Amino acid sequence: MASEHIARAYDEELRKLNNTVAEMGGLAESQLGMAIDAVVTRDTEVAGQVVQNDDKMDRLERELDNLAIRLLALRQPVARDLREIFSALKIGSDLERIGDYAANVAKRSIALSQTPAVRPVYALPRMAHLAQELIKDVLDSYVQRDADKAYAVWIRDAELDEMYSSLFRELLTYMMEDPRSIGSCTHLLFMAKNIERIGDHATNIAENLYYLVNGRPLEEARPKGDMSSLEVVRPDGGP
Amino acid sequence: MSLAVARQAMPLPPPVPREARVQPSPELKVLIRDVDFYYGDFKALKSITLPLHDKRVTAFIGPSGCGKSTLLRVLNRIYQLYPGQRATGEVIVDGENILSPGVDLNLLRAKIGMVFQKPTPFPMSIYDNIAFGIRLYERLPHHELDDRVESALRRAALWDEVKDKLRQSGLGLSGGQQQRLCIARAIAVQPEVLLLDEPASALDPISTQRIEELIAELKGDYCIAIVTHNMQQAARSSDYTAFMYLGELIEFDETELIFTRPKQKHTEDYITGRFG
Repeated sequence: MASEHIARAYDEELRKLNNTVAEMGGLAESQLGMAIDAVVTRDTEVAGQVVQNDDKMDRLERELDNLAIRLLALRQPVARDLREIFSALKIGSDLERIGDYAANVAKRSIALSQTPAVRPVYALPRMAHLAQELIKDVLDSYVQRDADKAYAVWIRDAELDEMYSSLFRELLTYMMEDPRSIGSCTHLLFMAKNIERIGDHATNIAENLYYLVNGRPLEEARPKGDMSSLEVVRPDGGP
Repeated sequence: MSLAVARQAMPLPPPVPREARVQPSPELKVLIRDVDFYYGDFKALKSITLPLHDKRVTAFIGPSGCGKSTLLRVLNRIYQLYPGQRATGEVIVDGENILSPGVDLNLLRAKIGMVFQKPTPFPMSIYDNIAFGIRLYERLPHHELDDRVESALRRAALWDEVKDKLRQSGLGLSGGQQQRLCIARAIAVQPEVLLLDEPASALDPISTQRIEELIAELKGDYCIAIVTHNMQQAARSSDYTAFMYLGELIEFDETELIFTRPKQKHTEDYITGRFG
């Protein structure tokens, strides 16, 4: 935050708002980490923990909303202060979605642990680590109000999209080769999609941070690495 | 100096092709150029240059003593009532420099009306409060004077409240009504520019909203300049905002820009309450 307000309680309230966003960010990061551990180690207890923790995320989001509404009503913020509060609200809902996706991955890991392991399971943690890095970097950029760092995250999401595309193709091939793997591979496919979506929310946060710092939106077109929505399955190998 | 020359000297937004206009773009009504102002030896305004557009509201904000009221007082030369106060530079209204010595001050003040912070009704009837100003400039038959008084009170959104007691004293009205009476008095002489010096600062929130609503109404016909300590009021009521500090104009821009992303750090510090 920039220099201080004449009314010190105002600074205190803004600090609380920032801390709540940071706390939600930390939770989102650890939820995703635990969910992936649950997938790799087939540990249903950890998975259950992640699902439970999601309540905490929802509670934090409500807390954030209340703080923001209170600030808007009582302080009538303008300029940068207004952007602080507006961005905190938007970033909060992105983090809440990230938490939902992590919980989703954890839920599917419980189902997945009841079927024989399939090889593409090992590509998933690579995607997840990149997603975690994006979350961590974008949160650092939020704490440091560093628009350049946020911009780097915004660009890097294309990598995650590419990983998703390639995992998508790999899983399709598996399912075609061995129809018995369709169950597990479908779970994996959804998990991969969840992680890819987490990357998109990280870029949303990056855009909000850019707006917060600069007062104008990031208007370039973002590079897209995910082509899976254009993919067509041709089991007979025909044209 | 002609208005054409004045326009050249002031950077104005590029003209918009007529067919592309949604709202007619604002016309320059008043150009304040290089204005300095002195209270004796004290220089209260330092080289102020800015435009006031017709049918738009321009708000002046800034901490006490920044010169915003002083600037308003320059615009109808009301400062000349006091010895030792003088202004230099130019204030060009419709092409004419109103600071030049030959200007008829009575006509100037009819053209540029002013309303003050504290309501200043005269100790006479509501009717005469309005008619007094008109009689100074024009000799009208009774029924025409009646019409003029009614129309001024209607424009000031006061008619319905006072139409049954026009002969009662203006001093018996509430603060908010008195202020609207003063606005009615100002517009009764058919001015072109309205100067409002903190018109709502002595009023309760409801009366304040009435005044703001009135400003929004009147802006269709006048060029309005308002000085206010209430930043939300400036944000709500004006199209342009000028931020002043220690006699200087720090920033002038569209109100929306001033309150969302001001260019000067000084402005941002002031409007967000970080003023040290």
